[in-house]
Amino acid sequence: MSIITELESLRDSALERISQAADLAALDAVRVDVLGKKGSLTGVLRGLGALSAEERPAVGKVSNQVRAALERALEARKALLAEAALSARVAADAVDVTLPGRKRLPGRAHLINQITAEVVDIFTGLGYAIAEGPEAELDYYNFTALNHPPTHPARSATDTFYVRDLSEGGASGPITDVLLRTHTSPVQVRVLEQQKPPVYVLAPGRVYRRDIADPSHLPQFHQIEGLVVDEGITFGDLKGTLDYVCKELFGKDRKTRFRPHFFPFTEPSAEVDVSCGICAGSGCRFCKYTGWQEILGCGMVDPNVFGYVDIDPEVYTGFAFGMGVERIAALRYDIPDLRMLVEGDMRFLRQF
Amino acid sequence: MHVSMKWLKELVDVDLTVEELVDRLDMTGTAVESVRAVGEGLDGVVVGSVLTKEPHPDADKLSYCSVDVGGDEPLRIVCGATNFEAGDCVPVACVGATLPGDFTIKKTKLRGLVSEGMMCSSPELGLGGDASGLLVLPPDAPVGMAFAEYLGQADTVVELEVTPNRPDCLSMVGVAREVAAITGKHATAPVSVPEESGVPVHDAVSVEIADPDLCSRYTARLIRGVSIGPSPEWLAERVTAAGARPVNNIVDITNLVMFELGQPLHAFDAATLALRDGKAAVTVRRAGAGERLTTLDGQERVLDPNMLVIADDSGAIALAGVMGGENTEVSDTTVDILLESACFEPTSTSLTSRSLGLISEASTRFERGVDAEGCVRAADRAAALMAEVAGGTIAPGVVDVYPVPAIPGVLEMRIDRMNAVLGTGIPAGEAAGILTALGLGVEPVGEGLLRVSVPTFRPDLEREIDLIEEVVRVWGMERVPVTLPGGRGRVGRLTSRQRWMRRIDGAMRAAGLNETMTYSFVDPGDHERIRMPLGEGETLVELVNPMSEEQAVMRISLLPGLLRSVSYNQRRGVPDVHLYEIGSVFSTSEGRKLPREHTAVGGVMAGMWSRPGWTGDDHPLDFFDGKGVIEALVDELSPRHFQVRPADLPWLQPGRSAEVLLEGKVAGWLGEVHPSVADAFEAEAPIVAFELDAGVLIATARPVRTYTEVPRYPAVTLDVALLVDEKVSAERVEHAMRKAGGPLLDSVRLFDVYRGKGVAEGRKSLAWALSYRAPDRTLSDDEVRPVHEKLLRKVCGAVGAELRS
Ligand SMILES: [Zn+2]
Repeated sequence: MSIITELESLRDSALERISQAADLAALDAVRVDVLGKKGSLTGVLRGLGALSAEERPAVGKVSNQVRAALERALEARKALLAEAALSARVAADAVDVTLPGRKRLPGRAHLINQITAEVVDIFTGLGYAIAEGPEAELDYYNFTALNHPPTHPARSATDTFYVRDLSEGGASGPITDVLLRTHTSPVQVRVLEQQKPPVYVLAPGRVYRRDIADPSHLPQFHQIEGLVVDEGITFGDLKGTLDYVCKELFGKDRKTRFRPHFFPFTEPSAEVDVSCGICAGSGCRFCKYTGWQEILGCGMVDPNVFGYVDIDPEVYTGFAFGMGVERIAALRYDIPDLRMLVEGDMRFLRQF
Repeated sequence: MHVSMKWLKELVDVDLTVEELVDRLDMTGTAVESVRAVGEGLDGVVVGSVLTKEPHPDADKLSYCSVDVGGDEPLRIVCGATNFEAGDCVPVACVGATLPGDFTIKKTKLRGLVSEGMMCSSPELGLGGDASGLLVLPPDAPVGMAFAEYLGQADTVVELEVTPNRPDCLSMVGVAREVAAITGKHATAPVSVPEESGVPVHDAVSVEIADPDLCSRYTARLIRGVSIGPSPEWLAERVTAAGARPVNNIVDITNLVMFELGQPLHAFDAATLALRDGKAAVTVRRAGAGERLTTLDGQERVLDPNMLVIADDSGAIALAGVMGGENTEVSDTTVDILLESACFEPTSTSLTSRSLGLISEASTRFERGVDAEGCVRAADRAAALMAEVAGGTIAPGVVDVYPVPAIPGVLEMRIDRMNAVLGTGIPAGEAAGILTALGLGVEPVGEGLLRVSVPTFRPDLEREIDLIEEVVRVWGMERVPVTLPGGRGRVGRLTSRQRWMRRIDGAMRAAGLNETMTYSFVDPGDHERIRMPLGEGETLVELVNPMSEEQAVMRISLLPGLLRSVSYNQRRGVPDVHLYEIGSVFSTSEGRKLPREHTAVGGVMAGMWSRPGWTGDDHPLDFFDGKGVIEALVDELSPRHFQVRPADLPWLQPGRSAEVLLEGKVAGWLGEVHPSVADAFEAEAPIVAFELDAGVLIATARPVRTYTEVPRYPAVTLDVALLVDEKVSAERVEHAMRKAGGPLLDSVRLFDVYRGKGVAEGRKSLAWALSYRAPDRTLSDDEVRPVHEKLLRKVCGAVGAELRS
């Protein structure tokens, strides 16, 4: 057998083994067997030295061709096997994508503060600053400067929580000078004492009234107070502002209506209803068949209040409003029992 | 104010349906609380006559009666009321009747005796009025008649919520006037001209007002020879519709006139008054200190000089404007009536009625203000009715002491101002028309100016703005065009503090905690339970009038409320609790009026982050989960220096208790709640908790962080395990490393803490990864080695560590 035939047969058998190699390890074994230092092709080539000078070029050429063919085949097979190995690995890596993810869920904000933040954002958009005041407040700010006569029923010890006054000569009876504010309105007075018009402020906060906790009452709840004092402020501005806010809060299709009412610190005063979201105004049990849900109280700042803070009512007019956050929550989510808001039940808090 | 539609229609020619009228009232400022058809839902209720009344043998407070309801046999009824006798007629709900409130009457046994129905009070029948006893009907009430039929039926009673500024609407004529104004109709007021005869009242009665500041007018009329008896049906019906209980003809007339005209009246039995110079001498004066009066309800009242009384020479005979005295009460044998029609000062009446807990229809009206100008008219009307109904004769004249006459106010209203406040263009003529319809005198004076005279029945109209309000509420708030304020110079913003609070809030949630709210007031014992001391000289903020002892003081910490919430969840089978609250905490000290108020940020964590899932990567929450929350918050706020330092805090478990310091200031605490504290709140340990002062958080937060160059060259990281004594803290080792590391030490990370096999008792192994880096070149191992070895030598020396091999 000529050496060329030997080379060709070696090539053919090697190619056969390459094509049969099942994995990269087997393929590499073939490579070592044939092309390695002790490989069969290497062995053949080592014998080249024994050839005559005439034979050498032809055999050399064939052997180079064989080597090249084998290297190509090896490369091709390697690529093929690598791809197959990757596919196999990927296939083995498949997961049940319906298994739950690894997570640490962020916490939720309390419903009341979510609503408050929403209202705050609406009003900052309308150009209001946000003001705050103490929850333990002086009678002066809570009642007197808000034009409440001394005998106003809200001042009674059955309606308002009074706080022990430890100042020298502080009243010791059931009614002291210090109380838990019954509304956020005292912030109005505090703001007007510190800031001259124009005033556009919103004051959210916790307030207290002596109600027994039951499904529709809590002795502590939250209000959002609004106050605007500027030149040329009208009742129409009040209507427009609250109409806008109610639509933002409850939906564009909701209507508002203003019913004249009485509050000591605004005049004219009104209660504001928003059209019932359940029945769209046709009447249902949620709106007691009126088609309307009461949502807030408001009015033009009473000139007497301006008197307490030294603002000239001939130059400035203003409006004020107060809304109950729990009430908005109850209307929006149909919460059956307000006490759930203070129980801290994780299953309740996580819902909002 | 209960308004009978039947009655109202006699006073104003209103032609709206009840529904339309209610709507109009609602939209003009008189809220309607309820509308009810009289007699509605009273099927099965009949007029009964009590035949016998005996004490229940087994119950002190019950009686056992037989009641004729027109059937073959009288009914046997067990009753708890005491205000009736055998012979009285009362409404009886028979078995099967369903009363308002969906209450069905069944045959029952009460303390062993069968009861076949229920005798009813007025409110039980949905009629309002006195709930303290049965509705006793006049003796001539037809026994067996359906009660609805007896009531005269076919009436609708509208209950109005009269705002405190509208005393005039506590009368039928006032409501009629209001209804006329808002519907464009006309109201008429009943007028009675009394026919007088006999000895003039001035010869029989004298009146003196000693304290005119508390009584601006006192009038008296004398009606002689009345016969006291039950009211005729029309009178009883009317009084019932207005929400009162018929008593007798004289009392019912005073009530009728009060409901009609808004003027409370009082009838004295003239014969019981002490005479002076042959006259019944009435004095209106302050009570003496400790003076006593037994009021009509049989209670002896101890009075003080802040209270106004009507007195004769023998002493007090009535509490002015609040309640009459028993000693001068009209009884069945009364013949002559001394009729009082007066005007008492609102504040004093209100304080008196509240301090004695006596709130009556009369006091409610005086409290809001009664029109002094109406006194005589009301006296005339009542006297005429007494003559008509009770057969009396009216003594000529009225004793009228009127030291402080009510003066009608005169106001001016600028049309421009009105439209400027409202944002409207209401013409002067229209505004004038509205004010006129409300009973005001209106006179245009000059361009765009109205002069308005205000009758004394509208004391609420004192200023221009009051008139503007009257115009807009009748003209229609719904007609005011909607605008938005266009003012310049306003900026919508959150203050810096508010923005920080939002970031703190957000960081709490991002760390996995859910926001909750707890009560601001707590049990005074809670602070003992958490054993949290107050600051030097500080005390708890106490409520003077708490709802209960469990809510008697303001919280000094959010912890008690949060622990209660943990307990609430655990008891309901929710073991994993992650809550935070941001809220006010309070304290005070001697000499302070307003308490101190701080905003606290508190959290509690119990159980696990979540129940172990298929990935099996959860663990019971402990100190380090709480610390992780605080570290996340610190990362958000970026204070310059943050430290957690061991501290002995009584409410925390020793050894798992720490203070949180920001820039060297104590910002709050962190730890695992002491098991016995958890136990005191019925919560199950372990519970991780923390509380931080928002003020310190914000004061130390950095609004602008400093930029440091992002590394450009790789770090060389070397691991080392150091054996140290248990008492050597990780922080101390880290400090030593940083101190010894020099400029090349880039970061230090603790990745393992090990105790046990291979580590001596009382020692622990801390494994660290130390990264070295240069800002301007890639470090070689050869360069790092000596630095690292020097660091280790120094650290070992500083903290007594040895290398663990
Ligand atoms: Zn509805």
